[in-house]
Amino acid sequence: MTVRSVLRQKGLLARIDDWMNPIVIKELRQAVQSRFVVTALLVLLSIQLLAVGIYILAWRSALIDLDAGRWVFMLLYGILLGISMLFVPLYTAIRLFAERSDTNVDLLFITTIKPRSIIAGKLFAAIILTILIFSACMPFMAFTYFLRGIDLPSIFVVLLLGFMIVITCTQAAIFVASIPVNRVLKVIFGLVVLWVFLMIFISTMGGMNELFRMGIGSRLGDWEFWEGVIGFLSLFTLLIGSFFVLSVAMITPPAANRGFPVRVFMTLAWASLGITVLIGSVINKTHTPVAVWQVVFSSTFALALFIAVSERDGPGRRVLRSVPQSKLKRAVAFFFYSGAASGLTWASVGIALTLTLAWIWSKLLPAYSNHDDLIGGLKWMGAMCLYFFCYALSGALLRRHLLSKVGSELTWIFGLILMIGGIVVPFMIGYLLFFGDEWWKEDYENWLVGNPFAWNGISSKALYLGIAVVWAVLVAALNLRWFIERVSGFRPLIAPIDQSGSSVMAQIHDANIAFEPPGRQERQDA
Amino acid sequence: MKVEVVNLKKHFGATRAVDDVSFSFSSGQVVGFVGPNGAGKTTTMRILSTLDEPSDGDAMIDGVSVVEEPERARHLVGYVPDSLPTHRDMSVHEYLDFFARAYDLKGERREQVIESVEEFTNLTGIREKMLNALSKGMKQRVSLARALLHDPPVLIMDEPAAGLDPRARIELRELLRVLSSHGKAILISSHILTELAEICHAAVIIEHGKILMAGAMGDLLMSSVPRRTVLIRVLEQQEELHRELLQMPHIENARLIGSEIALEVNGTEETCCDLLVSLIQRGYRILEFKQQRANLEEIFMNVTKGVVQ
Repeated sequence: MTVRSVLRQKGLLARIDDWMNPIVIKELRQAVQSRFVVTALLVLLSIQLLAVGIYILAWRSALIDLDAGRWVFMLLYGILLGISMLFVPLYTAIRLFAERSDTNVDLLFITTIKPRSIIAGKLFAAIILTILIFSACMPFMAFTYFLRGIDLPSIFVVLLLGFMIVITCTQAAIFVASIPVNRVLKVIFGLVVLWVFLMIFISTMGGMNELFRMGIGSRLGDWEFWEGVIGFLSLFTLLIGSFFVLSVAMITPPAANRGFPVRVFMTLAWASLGITVLIGSVINKTHTPVAVWQVVFSSTFALALFIAVSERDGPGRRVLRSVPQSKLKRAVAFFFYSGAASGLTWASVGIALTLTLAWIWSKLLPAYSNHDDLIGGLKWMGAMCLYFFCYALSGALLRRHLLSKVGSELTWIFGLILMIGGIVVPFMIGYLLFFGDEWWKEDYENWLVGNPFAWNGISSKALYLGIAVVWAVLVAALNLRWFIERVSGFRPLIAPIDQSGSSVMAQIHDANIAFEPPGRQERQDA
Repeated sequence: MKVEVVNLKKHFGATRAVDDVSFSFSSGQVVGFVGPNGAGKTTTMRILSTLDEPSDGDAMIDGVSVVEEPERARHLVGYVPDSLPTHRDMSVHEYLDFFARAYDLKGERREQVIESVEEFTNLTGIREKMLNALSKGMKQRVSLARALLHDPPVLIMDEPAAGLDPRARIELRELLRVLSSHGKAILISSHILTELAEICHAAVIIEHGKILMAGAMGDLLMSSVPRRTVLIRVLEQQEELHRELLQMPHIENARLIGSEIALEVNGTEETCCDLLVSLIQRGYRILEFKQQRANLEEIFMNVTKGVVQ
């Protein structure tokens, strides 16, 4: 009796089949039948075989060298990682992009399948494809062990890291494919992502070489090694998770509460990583982890300000339907729900909490190393976030009052144009009116006011901060009425009542056109 | 089962794609949704299918609001969009199996449903064919099969006959007739108005987001004609009858065309009945007495202005 027949008898296969995400089944069925996938796999294996053959034949003397295994492994690993980082994300993203361009995704939305299942299915199918590619290359990798210069733990750790990098890149590619922009912009985004992938590839190969030089097998007992592994795994989890929730938000219909999962995930990531870096800071008696944490999350929340102003002006009826009745729950919900006002509040509070907590930490433990770096980073991030706040809200004001015909989803473009103007215009005025031929000898630093990234370069910090504070207060005041209206409008949806006291349901009877069922119509005709 | 569209509005910035549209229809009815391009048909249909949210108003399917309870409403609606399935590397059966899984159909039930839908839409013979190898007519049947997988009581069909050859159109029409006789409420948009007139029980004419005219098909065809045209065919005495008709009250015009006489009668249906009785009493042997109706195309051209937003 085979395993398959046992499974069939118990109905386990059927149950697994029913339980599986339909997207995974569809993607794998299509991958199996796709010539592209089969060709890519065969090309990869041929290149690996060719590379090993050429190395052995051309450098036979090198085989006596004790490092031959390491060099061959690095060669094979480069081929595997390069092709996987290019093929898997590209294949997955192009397929999603093609589906998103027509009504296929729309058709999925009217089934019972959830947007998160769509993205999870795409990712899971990509994971299976990556496992298939890595497994096919595994014999070549294991072969390098016999050439000496590399140990098995090193091979597995490096393959695991490579696998995680490919999955992270794939999720990033899925995110780019989910962005609802036109073909041209998507190609531009795609090229930027490819460039980032190339940088990651080069850094990974450099890092792996360094790891091999130090030797992984002998470091398995070191806490420092595992600290690094935990750090990398946390980074991958954060990146995959962030891109995942963002991709889900991108394909979720605008009418839904699509900001909610993103904000909940980012808040949880912020809190859990915050606790982790505090523990790391105490163990190593250094402020470096906290400094990195505050830079990462301050920047993320600053970017979130631009995303927030581009959200729907107010939550739609579908979102309001799920607003809690209780005032306390409603107040908490306001931070996390979709809508421009909620997004602005969430991002602003996030920035304030991140900077305040890091500042308190620096005051509590002044003796830890890199204290000055933390303080310097806090000032830099504080100023940058303040300017981001000003540009985002100014962009929102501009769109609402002067360009009201433009959809709210384009508000970030106005903010970005203002920011570019703020960076370039003051400097150009100074250059044209006051500088000599050798501008770099002039005291040009004060002309960097308006540049959110210029904290370290500016000489008059008071002027730089003063302008930002006055501007922030002004735009906040100008947006206050709009904000209060949004807060007061954030209430659970109740069916509108007309003057006679009947609800929308009753108005149906007054609908101006109604057709009788055909049976009744025929009877009347008769 | 009743579909009720109530004061539906959808604005895209300053553009009013759907402007206060209300109508309702019931099980077993096929309702034609007619209008020029950009009239608001697709937007209305997308709202009914829960794909878009209205700016105001609502639509109820068997009392379930598409705005308030889209998840419940989705079980009641099958949507056939104007585009056809384009999945590559996928057979017809795999495509339907995928959507059956997406509708949460499990195990043997899923297999049974797919088989019966394939049989109904005449796809059994091509179930293993790849989607990209199908003709437009076949793809349209696949699209309809997909929409029927969860056995929805309401079908929303956006331009299903676009680009189909005459045979495929006739097959689609027959399928819709059967579905209607099975009690499905069908809202269908099309530019092929002669087709619509043949299968629809009612029609809604929309332009610029507003309903211009709506009602049962018979009422629409009658109400839009200022004068009644009647065709009479007699066995003999055509010329004598023609002369006599020109002398009669309520007859605006009479033309002898071969063996037939076309009359323009200024009056009600009762006037036409009286005319028939009078002609029989005068001894004319009448073979045919037919009141001619306007067609949907004429009505469409009369009421719409071709305004695109």
